[in-house]
Amino acid sequence: MTSSGGIAIEGVSKQFGGSQGVTALDGIDLNISGGEFVAIVGPSGCGKSTLLRIVGGLLEPTSGHVYVGGKTSGQARRDVEFGFVFQQPTLFPWLRVLGNVLLPDRVLGRRNPNNGPNSKDIAQELLRDVGLEGFEDHYPGQISGGMQQRVALARALSYGPNTLLMDEPFGALDEFTRDRLNLQLLEVCNKTGSTVLFVTHSIQEAIFLADRVVMLSPRPGRITRVAEVPFPKPRTLEIRYEPGFAALAGELRGLLVGDDDIELAMNQP
Amino acid sequence: MSSIRKRSRVVDVLLRVLPSVVIFALCLVAWELWVNIRDVPAYLYPSPSDIGKELRDEGLSLAVDDLRWTMTEAVLGFLLGSAVALFTGIVFVHAKFLERVFFPWAIVLQTVPIVAVAPLLTIWFGFTLTPKVLIAALICFFPVLVNATKGLRSISSQAVELMSILSASKWSLFWRVRIPSSLPYVFAGLKVASTLSVIGAIVAEFTGADRGIGFVIIQASYRLDTRLMFAGIALSSAAGVVFFNIIGALERLALRWPDARLDR
Repeated sequence: MTSSGGIAIEGVSKQFGGSQGVTALDGIDLNISGGEFVAIVGPSGCGKSTLLRIVGGLLEPTSGHVYVGGKTSGQARRDVEFGFVFQQPTLFPWLRVLGNVLLPDRVLGRRNPNNGPNSKDIAQELLRDVGLEGFEDHYPGQISGGMQQRVALARALSYGPNTLLMDEPFGALDEFTRDRLNLQLLEVCNKTGSTVLFVTHSIQEAIFLADRVVMLSPRPGRITRVAEVPFPKPRTLEIRYEPGFAALAGELRGLLVGDDDIELAMNQP
Repeated sequence: MSSIRKRSRVVDVLLRVLPSVVIFALCLVAWELWVNIRDVPAYLYPSPSDIGKELRDEGLSLAVDDLRWTMTEAVLGFLLGSAVALFTGIVFVHAKFLERVFFPWAIVLQTVPIVAVAPLLTIWFGFTLTPKVLIAALICFFPVLVNATKGLRSISSQAVELMSILSASKWSLFWRVRIPSSLPYVFAGLKVASTLSVIGAIVAEFTGADRGIGFVIIQASYRLDTRLMFAGIALSSAAGVVFFNIIGALERLALRWPDARLDR
């Protein structure tokens, strides 16, 4: 595993709409080491996507700092050190699957460390890793939502970013597809050794994927708990039936029930 | 296998076109019968066969002398109006302030009746090509502008964030995301404009011209030569249909991805 630079989140707060506005995040402190997989869990509206965008340098915090591998997040973004997978696949419908995976290469040109005569081979290998061999020439409109999201994952990895930021990437998919993609994600991350910050509202998904799970409370978004996940990697889907898994899931769910979002917490899978 | 598939595609196309052809033919037959049975005066309602004879006798010279001229005006106007509209749309999308200032002017341009503007332009530019091209351009401008602006704005905030994560320049965002996303909308606008441009050229010819289908129709109307008028109408609308379908074919070439075309 090649270790990449970690992420240091120091006292990050975010207000929207001026001084009278909503406090989305309040005093977030979190250290993530290089190569670590951290999941952020919380109910809708707790600011977890906002936190992800601040780490990725897409949003400025109202106060506090984020350092990624020693650089500010804005500088890290300009140096193209992030891969981002959105809630929607966000593929370009006019490009074929291979074209979408090669988009970063076309945009970055020589700035892409994977640029060169073999950038196409790298893209094809990534598509093979996410199980899409043979679909290179399909348009996004011709493949399923789960396949589209896998293309988005391959695209995010195609230029070898140190840090992968994922914003509920599998939230819109059915359970079976989600399980399969979770396994593929762990495999791919094991191979690349990237640092991953993964936002989800599913406690189960978070525990299954992450080395640490960060619980966020809503309005204002505060960290209520950081839990170490005691299962070694590589993992199989069966760990979800171990007693330790259920115990941790129950404990984390209990944190949500303490809030006024009981209904939402009960709906967690 | 492949020949069967090919033939079935031809049959498909025929079946799709056939109903409208049959209904059109039935209308012509009914018209013909009505004119013959009721014995209506030919100078008021010429029968389709009369118009057909007129087209056979005069059609070629009409097409070569006048339709060619009218379509030149229409196509030049279409190109000018669409180009200005695309440019304006690009400016609007990048400078909201300019859009606030100038979009009302675009609406004014659209609501001014072209029948009223055409004589003015004829006074200014004489019996030349210029006023016809300008009127055709004027009538094409608005639908292309509205569609282009909407299309250039049709990108998702996530697509913008994606390009930002890739540290892409504004230029790259424009060429790689905005332009391709706008194409379906732009073509929808261009198709509307293609049919309007022929109307614009003909209306402009009404107000002062020495050739063109509009000129022929207005001259024929002074002589109550309704057969020639109908012949002119038939030729110009046929040319409009051809123009529309050329733009449609270009659209099919440009928009190859699934569900790209807006009007399907």
